[in-house]
Amino acid sequence: MSARTVEARTTAAAAAARQSPGARAVHRRRALWFWVFVGPFAAGLALFTYVPLLWSVWLSFFDAHNTVTPTHFVGLDNYTAMLSDDAFRDSLLTFALFTAFIVPATYVLSLALALMVNRVRRLRAFFRSVFFLPAACSYVVAALIWKMSIFNGVRFGLANTVLDFFGAEPVAWLSTTDPPWYWLVVVTVRLWLQAGFYMILFLAGLQRIDPVLYEAAAVDGARPGWQVLRHITLPQLRATSVAVVLLLVVNAFQAFDEFYNLLSDARGYPPYARPPLVYLYYTALGQGQNLGLGSAGAVILALIIGVVTVGQARWFGLGRRNADG
Amino acid sequence: MDDALVRAGRALRLVVLIVLAVLFLIPFYLLVRNGLSSEQDITSPEWTLFPSELHWDNVRELFEDPSVPFARSLLNSALIAVATTAGTVLLASLAGYGFARIPYRHADKVFYAVLGTLMVPAAVTFVPSFVLVSTLGWISTLRGLIVPTLFSAFACFVFRQYFLGFPRELEDAAQVDGLGPWRTYWYVVVPNARPVFAAVGTIVFIGAWNSFLWPLVIGQDQSAWTVQVALSSFTTAQVVRLHELFLAAAVSILPLLLVFLCFQRWIVAGVERSGID
Amino acid sequence: MTISRRALLAAAAAAGGGLLTACGSNTGRGDGGGSGPALSHWYHQYGEAGTEQAVKRYAAAYTKARVTVQWRPGNYDQQTAAALLTDSGPDVFEVNGPSLDQIQGGQVVDLTGLLDGVEDDYNPVVLTPKRHDGKIWAIPQVIDMQMLYYRKSLLRDAGVEPPTTLDALVDAAKKLTTRKVKGLFLGNDGGAGVLGGTPLYAAGLRLVTDEGTVGFDDPAAARTLGKLHRLHADKSLLLGAPADWSDPSAFIQGLTAMQWTGLWALPQVQKELGDDFGVLPFPADGSTGRPAVPVGAYGAAVSARSRHVDAAEEYVKWLWVDRTDYQEDFALSYGFHIPARLSLAKKAAKLRTGAAADAVRFTTDHGWAQPLLWTPAAQTAYQDALSRIIKDGADPERELRTVVGKVSDELRRVQRKTT
Repeated sequence: MSARTVEARTTAAAAAARQSPGARAVHRRRALWFWVFVGPFAAGLALFTYVPLLWSVWLSFFDAHNTVTPTHFVGLDNYTAMLSDDAFRDSLLTFALFTAFIVPATYVLSLALALMVNRVRRLRAFFRSVFFLPAACSYVVAALIWKMSIFNGVRFGLANTVLDFFGAEPVAWLSTTDPPWYWLVVVTVRLWLQAGFYMILFLAGLQRIDPVLYEAAAVDGARPGWQVLRHITLPQLRATSVAVVLLLVVNAFQAFDEFYNLLSDARGYPPYARPPLVYLYYTALGQGQNLGLGSAGAVILALIIGVVTVGQARWFGLGRRNADG
Repeated sequence: MDDALVRAGRALRLVVLIVLAVLFLIPFYLLVRNGLSSEQDITSPEWTLFPSELHWDNVRELFEDPSVPFARSLLNSALIAVATTAGTVLLASLAGYGFARIPYRHADKVFYAVLGTLMVPAAVTFVPSFVLVSTLGWISTLRGLIVPTLFSAFACFVFRQYFLGFPRELEDAAQVDGLGPWRTYWYVVVPNARPVFAAVGTIVFIGAWNSFLWPLVIGQDQSAWTVQVALSSFTTAQVVRLHELFLAAAVSILPLLLVFLCFQRWIVAGVERSGID
Repeated sequence: MTISRRALLAAAAAAGGGLLTACGSNTGRGDGGGSGPALSHWYHQYGEAGTEQAVKRYAAAYTKARVTVQWRPGNYDQQTAAALLTDSGPDVFEVNGPSLDQIQGGQVVDLTGLLDGVEDDYNPVVLTPKRHDGKIWAIPQVIDMQMLYYRKSLLRDAGVEPPTTLDALVDAAKKLTTRKVKGLFLGNDGGAGVLGGTPLYAAGLRLVTDEGTVGFDDPAAARTLGKLHRLHADKSLLLGAPADWSDPSAFIQGLTAMQWTGLWALPQVQKELGDDFGVLPFPADGSTGRPAVPVGAYGAAVSARSRHVDAAEEYVKWLWVDRTDYQEDFALSYGFHIPARLSLAKKAAKLRTGAAADAVRFTTDHGWAQPLLWTPAAQTAYQDALSRIIKDGADPERELRTVVGKVSDELRRVQRKTT
């Protein structure tokens, strides 16, 4: 985080303030101003996020079928039930694999787009807009186009029209489990929706690289292309890369919308490509109103996301101070 | 020879970009194509890139559909999205400034408590949130649709990062002039931070416009439907009218595309300077 | 109107000023006719044109309460489930249940008294699942059923007889499949969702026995379900159609020669295809098998959290018991359903000829309704297994063993609560 030094400075100032004489009044004034600025936001967040969150945690220790005020305490039963449920474990595993794939894929595509758009001379704004535009689309709309128009399984789908042109049989993209074509649909829709946004982040990062570095590299005889990319561009983009990867991982584990809109039907959801959130949704929110079990699963999922995120931040050498604080 | 190589590389890059751009635009084209086609043209066994004729009537049909108040839902969405954006940006920017600039002892702890909520998927707190809002008596009200969505940890985070990189000299000067933090914020910081407001505002606007589950459950009457809810009513009916569905989808993203194109420059500038990374 | 125009303007002004707290809490119930307490009545979104206007007309005609109709798109079960946890839910709501957990959780009111003297007039196959502990928890509105539609001309051209056994169905689907037309459409998931327990009933089994134990712990189950995999392995199934099984589009557009869909699709199919179609129940399998069609009924239920339970009950009795003219109108004027009351079904001219008459006969002779003890958790376990059997060719015996285990646990859980 580019903010680290500044942050350190702020804390140092705070520490200094603590020690100086007459600190108390200063403290009180600062605390007052802090809450003037942060208070409304923090109060709202506490009411509309923390209260439901703690409520969920509380529910997870109860037998809460069709009720949010359960009375039957069951201890850790919901947790053991969830962890021994192979459907839930399956969904966690599937999503670990999905993450391992979608994160590098989005990373490479958005970086490639950014590098190309950054270097192109004409039509730069045009290309940037085109790649960024899908970020404005809702998952509902994108899923609609993918499911009903591009990748529908019948002869008038775009993908099947192309196949037909080459003389191949139509493929039922979302329904075929062997080979698992549905991943193609899910991955392309996500790439289409997301790549542009991360491209913008990379473009911003590229703008901040000092041109002098490139000139120096040229003098040293580095060939444009791979060498420059590897020794100058990528290291300079490190901060951006870390942020992009963090955001991608959190997003991948929270996948819900496009899966739900692509694969669910009136009767439920197929037993494949089922993200943990979709599984929990059916457990706790559909007709299966097992709110205790669903909450337990949600807590497990949030813990996993938390551990992965913090672990990743440490791995990248970020937030060491944060972890102490 | 090197020169030729460079030129070839440049041409190749342009070709790749053009191909990708076409691929990225195809979904938008399909929306419009299908939306203005007859049902037969959409489902014809001989699929063609261009429909045999354009049915502009579809537009009238969509807006006059007696079972779905489509125009009203657009208006509701616009209102809710604007209000949500204004509120979110106001609250998050104040908080972000507080975190970035006011050296309060427990600021870090509060900040991590805020950041932590980013890891909690919204779907998992859905039922308690709903019950809470209902306890407040906010079901089917604008308050219920808007207020609970105003507290975005992500927006707060972006503002904080931006203000951390904001040149301190301006504020110092303001303080010398005798302005307290509040007036410094409004008279000095805000006017000089427009890009980040535009960037966050656009992102929040898009999210508010596209949100589905919350408006569906909170807005319980047709007159409170947002455009996403109206859209879903086309897909959940037992009989799907494809052209109407595609056209409704196309119309629903139109305002967003306009907002997006107008503010794109700001978003890029905002991202560049906010150090989201 | 939930959000009045004035509130909209006020909010717009408030939003402009950056303040968002100005809009009033206007729940605005009671734009229906009549006086008395305000009741809100929820329906899920029906696809057929005119249904919404019809139910609003009925509500407006009621004089003892001001009834507001809410027409809900999207996932209706989820919305009602969430709303029933709060005080701002409906007073009266239609429900594809209620589920056992809803009854045991005390979320719905006992409506047994409403059917005094007319109980025998309700079709027992749909009234039974509304009964628990000897009480009735919802008044069946109309019967929906599903069956197999086939194109006569396509079968004739391929030299295929309308199939009367599951084996014949599998063969027919294979023969009818060409490069552009598939033999059979069972939904985009390959049939796991819509078929549910139907193949088990066709094999002479059931989901839950009268004693409340698993009804398909039998080798016949694996044999029958295994045959469904052949449909998939032969590539006879249409998959990935833009509209799912509940919509007859794929059948009408000629994407498939046979389709499993609801009775509600009949008018549309008739309009587009004329006489060129016939209907069948799901064919029997094995020596103890019998044809099967799934039937179900949305019921009108009263929320236990309603502030006017008595008024709500009275209104339900008025609409779904006393006003047989409205019940008939609702069943037959818009979509195509079988009235839940035997006397009305007998009277209906529309149900006396052609495919509609077949459908009524199938319902009476071969109808099965999902038992109340069959909970969503059991359904999920079974449906997952069925999907794996059909599409992945998973071993039916092993899959079913797992399902039987899970369903037994679930059955024990819900029956423990009862006693």
